[in-house]
Amino acid sequence: MYDVDLIDHMDSINQLLARYGVKFGIYKNNMFHEQLFPFDAIPRVITKAEFDVLEKGLIQRVDALNLFLKDIYGEKKIVKDKVVPEEFIFISKGYLPECERICPPKGIYSHISGIDLVQAKDHSWFILEDNLRIPSGASYPMIARELCRRAAPATFRKNSVVDNRNYAMMLRETMDYVNTGGISVILTPGRYNAAYFEHSYLAERTGSVLAVSSDLFVENNCLYYKDYREQKQRVGVVYRRISDEYLDPLTFLEESLIGVPGIMDAYRAGNVAIVNAPGNGVADDKGIYYFVPKMIRYYLNEEPILKNAPTYLPFYEEDRKYVLEHLDTLVIKDVAEAGGYGVVFGSNLTKEQLSEFKKRIETESRRFIAQEVIDFLDLDIMDEGVPVPRKADLRAFVLSGETTRVWASGLTRFSRNPDSFVVNSSQGGGFKDTWVLSR
Amino acid sequence: MRHLRFQYCMKLRFESPVREHVFALRCVPHTDSVQRMENVSRFVYPADSLTEVKDGFGNWKLTGCARGPHSEFAYEVKGEAFVDHAAVQPEELHGMYRYPTELTGYDVSIEEFLKRYPLPEADAYKKAQYLMHALYAYMSYVPGTTDIRTTAGEALRQKKGVCQDYAQILAALCRRSGIPARYVTGLMIGEGFSHAWTEIYDRDRWLGLDPTNDLLVDDLYLKLAHGRDYRDCIVDRGVFCGNARQEQSIYVNVEEI
Repeated sequence: MYDVDLIDHMDSINQLLARYGVKFGIYKNNMFHEQLFPFDAIPRVITKAEFDVLEKGLIQRVDALNLFLKDIYGEKKIVKDKVVPEEFIFISKGYLPECERICPPKGIYSHISGIDLVQAKDHSWFILEDNLRIPSGASYPMIARELCRRAAPATFRKNSVVDNRNYAMMLRETMDYVNTGGISVILTPGRYNAAYFEHSYLAERTGSVLAVSSDLFVENNCLYYKDYREQKQRVGVVYRRISDEYLDPLTFLEESLIGVPGIMDAYRAGNVAIVNAPGNGVADDKGIYYFVPKMIRYYLNEEPILKNAPTYLPFYEEDRKYVLEHLDTLVIKDVAEAGGYGVVFGSNLTKEQLSEFKKRIETESRRFIAQEVIDFLDLDIMDEGVPVPRKADLRAFVLSGETTRVWASGLTRFSRNPDSFVVNSSQGGGFKDTWVLSR
Repeated sequence: MRHLRFQYCMKLRFESPVREHVFALRCVPHTDSVQRMENVSRFVYPADSLTEVKDGFGNWKLTGCARGPHSEFAYEVKGEAFVDHAAVQPEELHGMYRYPTELTGYDVSIEEFLKRYPLPEADAYKKAQYLMHALYAYMSYVPGTTDIRTTAGEALRQKKGVCQDYAQILAALCRRSGIPARYVTGLMIGEGFSHAWTEIYDRDRWLGLDPTNDLLVDDLYLKLAHGRDYRDCIVDRGVFCGNARQEQSIYVNVEEI
């Protein structure tokens, strides 16, 4: 039933991944650990018909999110029309008033969107969350596919799998489209970052310069790169892999050593494109997630093609009532947390913990969202030579440049623990190749 | 209307030379509906480049860099202003001024203060004045008891602080009472340092209150910048390479002509 060729090569593929340094770093107890990101050889397979729907739905969603960001940092029509309550915007940690009235080059805010989906047992897809800040992970399926093709070339002749080796080209085109006239740079905080492997890999593949903060400086509202001969080169687009608060010590956290002082001024002056735009966190906040289907109707006048997981906002009285009554069957998420942290399953809580949590929901109603637990469709993984079912999700990569495009691949992550629903790579776990079929 | 002459000097001495110094200064008052600036001159030394840009709150920022080694950094701004609060123009309210920030969170001490001083039935401006009087009576002006990270709630709990604390507390008290408020840095008539106060939004315009002095802001005040709290309108921000030991001296003088 499964491709034996690939499975036979699973160990050697993992060894190669380790040798290439395809690792994932995590911080635990203030210590930095690098972990291998285990690869499972059984691919996730998405049929063409299925992908066509996903593609349409994802483009629609990301287009609406980009329009939302443009609106929030501009006219705020969606707030004035009371579609989204203003407290969900202005209290959000992701909302940055420092970005008010900045229109980024070509009006694009989320150039690279990582949209996380899960498939239910009935095969319907649900959006789990939107990642519009610096979604990571595209490099893992890129390199895994390379190795799979090398290990089992016949597999890719036999099966009509869409070639996914175009990600770097798509990314480069996306960066070129917003480039204001200068070189392309990928800004990394350095090698102690969870995704450093990816930064260097993407720089190499897109023909961008991999830079750390001390390579860049701002003068007269323009961003420059200092090359090895101490020559300065104008930068037209910077794909930064550091988060907003560390981006510019003159605007955000003063103690940031990994940012570029003054980069926000160059950006505001329209002299450089920042990929993704600072301030995007206001649109991928877990509290805002609830409103995305409303955004699609509001901005595009269309019905959402892809569904949200059924979500309740304790902020609304009716929802709060429901949540308090059904807490033991729901999953509660802290809107301020990311990376699989701050996720609590009501069914795992003791009676005391439940009543404690209810109190918190009542006093901090804006802080939490509650969702129905989706009955995941498990995917098989190889565990000591035997296929066993595990929870998995899919991060789809959507690139917005001249047009919005979905990469015909994605990052399928799975939980290795049979009882865990959390598949985030920050929490351990592995990944699979994602095949999109061409027919 | 008042005709003012102002001067704002800042000198920073580093123990040992620093380099790659990049700065953003909100030290130049600009013309708005209340204040009209004339003959403004500014001097920053050393500076390899200087540009003026707006920030997200609508304030002007003077940005630039001093790349080479230097052990002193100074700026001086001077000029004249015609200030007329009667001319204040209606402005659209930005929703962010309705909500707390990290420095102006609704701490227990804020809640207790509001319980202790229930608001009278009145318009927003009157309510804010009531809170200002109560706050002025409650707090003591004691320099050195707070720093730039002190929150409104912390300063209120210890009943001590400086203008920055007073202004943040009043902003928090107003917002908690449903009155949009913002934090202002600026200069006030007389000699000394820069100052901070609060503005509240009543009907369609921003009106200033100075809780440190229990005064309504009048034509003897000059605004430099506004934001949600202290952090949004820091007058002088800079990063550089070198030993961080430094000594700062500030001289401000505002006089009526």
